[in-house]
Amino acid sequence: MSPSDTRSDPPAGSTPGDDVAKPSRPAARQGELALFAPPAATDEMLVPARMVNEWTYCPRLAVLEWGRGEWAGNADTAAGRRAHKATETGAAPALPEPEALPDDRTLKTRRLLLASERLGLTAELDVIEADDGCVVPVDIKTGKRPHVAEGAYLPERVQVCVQALLLREAGYVCDEGALWFADSRERVRVELTDELIATALRAASDLRLTVASGRLPPPLDHSPKCVRCSLLPICLPDEVNWFRKGAIARTPPPAATPALPLYVQTPGARVTKKDFALVVQVEGEADRAVPLDEVSELVLAGPVSLTTPAVHELLRRDVPVAWMSSGFWYLGSTGPQGPRSAAVRTAQYAFAADEARRLVFARELVAAKIRNSRTILRRNWRGEDGERGPLLDRLALLADRTARAETAAALLGIEGEAAALYFRALPKLFTEGVAALPAFAFERRNRRPPADPVNACLSLLYAVLTRTFASAISVAGLDPWKGVYHVERPGRPALALDLIEPFRPVLADSAVLMALNNGELAPDDFVSAAGGCNLKPKARRALIAAYERRLDQETTHPAFGYQVSMRRLIQIQARLFARFVSGEIPRYPHYVPR
Amino acid sequence: MARRSNAEHAYVVAYDISDPKRWRRVFKTMKGYGRWLQLSVFHCRLDGGRRAEMASMLEDLIDRDTDHVIILDLGPAEDVELAVESLGKSFQPIERRAVVI
Ligand code: SF4
Repeated sequence: MSPSDTRSDPPAGSTPGDDVAKPSRPAARQGELALFAPPAATDEMLVPARMVNEWTYCPRLAVLEWGRGEWAGNADTAAGRRAHKATETGAAPALPEPEALPDDRTLKTRRLLLASERLGLTAELDVIEADDGCVVPVDIKTGKRPHVAEGAYLPERVQVCVQALLLREAGYVCDEGALWFADSRERVRVELTDELIATALRAASDLRLTVASGRLPPPLDHSPKCVRCSLLPICLPDEVNWFRKGAIARTPPPAATPALPLYVQTPGARVTKKDFALVVQVEGEADRAVPLDEVSELVLAGPVSLTTPAVHELLRRDVPVAWMSSGFWYLGSTGPQGPRSAAVRTAQYAFAADEARRLVFARELVAAKIRNSRTILRRNWRGEDGERGPLLDRLALLADRTARAETAAALLGIEGEAAALYFRALPKLFTEGVAALPAFAFERRNRRPPADPVNACLSLLYAVLTRTFASAISVAGLDPWKGVYHVERPGRPALALDLIEPFRPVLADSAVLMALNNGELAPDDFVSAAGGCNLKPKARRALIAAYERRLDQETTHPAFGYQVSMRRLIQIQARLFARFVSGEIPRYPHYVPR
Repeated sequence: MARRSNAEHAYVVAYDISDPKRWRRVFKTMKGYGRWLQLSVFHCRLDGGRRAEMASMLEDLIDRDTDHVIILDLGPAEDVELAVESLGKSFQPIERRAVVI
C-alpha cells in the first residue's frame, strides 16, 4: 500500500446506505442515561471526545494529556495528522440546521466543532454525512481496520459515540456513527447501543472526576499498548511499575525526540532562520545550516545574536533557547519548556517544604556523588598502586557516613572532605604526557575565576552540565530554581545543582579527562588574565564536543538494568524525580554505576 | 508502505519535478529533513514521525500528475552498515551528533 492512499477522500464512495433498512424517524433519544458527573461548570473544561477515546485506551494517558498538559508525538501521531489533512482542506458545505436538513440527498461537511455544557462534552468532527434527515459522524483513523467482532476497538467506537451524542444534543437525528480506516480504505459502522452510550458517558465522567481530584492513574502493566503510546517516554510505565511490583523494566523508553542541542559560542556569531533550518554565520567561516527538526535546544553562550524570525520559529516549535554568559554561567532559558500544567511544580514545592524528606534525599544524593567520584578514581587510576586502596576505602567510608548525618551542615562537611580527597587525587588520572605539562598542573579545585586550565575546564563543563539538567528538569515540569539540598540564591538553578551532583564526576570530570588524555586540549588553548584562566573559543568547542560525546555513550541503569545513553538517562532521571516528588514512587533511584 | 516505527532509519529521497518553481520549493523543504547529496537527491536520517511529516509536506507541494518523489528506506540508521560505492566524491552516512559552533 502506498502512503498516498491515505489521502483519498474518505467516506464518500462507500455510502452508508447499504441495504439495511433504516428506521425512518426513530425515537432518537432512546438510551440516554443519567449523567455520572455533574454538568460542567462554566469555567470547567468540556471533555473532548478524543480524550474519552484515550481514557478508554489508558486512563493514565488521558490524565497526562488532558489533566497535566503533557504531549509528545511519535510515528503514529504523525501518520494520524497526515490522514486527517484531507478533511482540513477544501471547501465543505456548512451543516444546515436540523429542520433544514434535506431529506433526499447526501450532504457531506467537514471539521465541525460541537460542544454541550449539559453533557460536559465537546468534539471535533472530521466528516458528517447527512442523508434522509439523519446525520452520521465519520471519524478518520489511520491504519487498517482491526479484525474484531465489533468492527473496531472500543476507544474508537466510544469516540464516535460521543460525536453522535453531541449531534443528537444539537437536535439532529443520529442513529449510527462510522469509522474510516485510511490505510485499508474500509468503513466500519458503529452502532449506538445503550451499552456503548453508557460506556462513553461513564468514561467521560470518570476522566473529569479523576482530573478534578488531581490523581494520576497508575500505568498499565506490561501492556502492548504502551509500545505504541506516544507518551511512553514521559509516562515511564515499566520504571514506575518496577517500584510498585519489583518487576524488571524491559527496555528503556524511547527518546521523546532524536533532536540534539545546538551550541553557538563563537563570539560574534549570528543565528538566523532560513526555510526549515537554522543558519549559523561566523565571520570568515562558511555558513552552517542545521535542520530545525534536529535541534532539541539552542544554547547560546556569550555575544551571539539570534534574529526575531528565528526566535518566533523556535517558540512555535517548542524549542527552548538557553542563554549563557561567555563563561557559561546559566542565565536562564526562553521558550516553552515542559507541560502546560503546574501539577509537578506544586508537588516539588511541597516536597521542598518537608525538612525530613529533604534530609533523607540529600543524604542519598551526597552518598551517590561520593560513590561516583570513587568510581572514577577506581576506573582511571594511573598512580601508585599502594595509594589507591586506602584512598578508595576512605571515600567508601565517607559515603557510608552520610547516612548518619543529622543536618545539611553535617552533610556539607562530609561532602567537602570527600571532594578534597578526590580532587587531590585527580592528577593521578592523567596520562604521563599530560602530567608532565606544567600548564596542566592541578592541586585543588578552585572557581570564580578558575586559576588554571584544568579548573577552567571543570568549571566550564559543570556549567554546561547544569544547563543540560536545567533543561531536562523544565521539560519534566519541575522548577529548576527551587532546590532540595542547595540553598536557593538568586540566579542559582538550585534543583539542577542538586541533581547534577552524582553526575559531576561521571559526566563532567570524565569528559575533561578524556579531552586532556586524548590530547584534544593543548596548553596554548588557554588564556590567563586577571588571576583567572579561560579557554579559547576553539578549545571550548572541543571540550563541549567531548562532553556531548560522553552523553551519547551507553550505560547500564543501575536500578532497571537496561542499556541507555547518558543523554536519555538524564531525561529519565528528571522524569523519575518528578514522579518521586509527586509521591508516585517511594524513592528516587540515584545514578550510581558499578 | 509507510513505516510506523519510531526508530531512526536512513533514507535516500529522489525527485523529478517538472516545474522549476515547485522544484525549488521541494528543494527548500528537503533541506529541513536531510543533506543535499546531488541535484535532486537528498540523504536523510529520520524517525518515524519526521518521516511521515516529510512525506506529508512533499505530498502537498507536488503535482501528482507530473511530478514524482521516491523515498528509499535504507534501514535502521544505527545498526545497518550501508553498502555504498561512491565514485568521485565521498559519501558519509549521517551521524547524530550535537553541533557545537
Ligand atoms: S505508556 Fe502505557 S501506561 Fe503510560 S500512558 Fe501510555 S499506554 Fe498508558
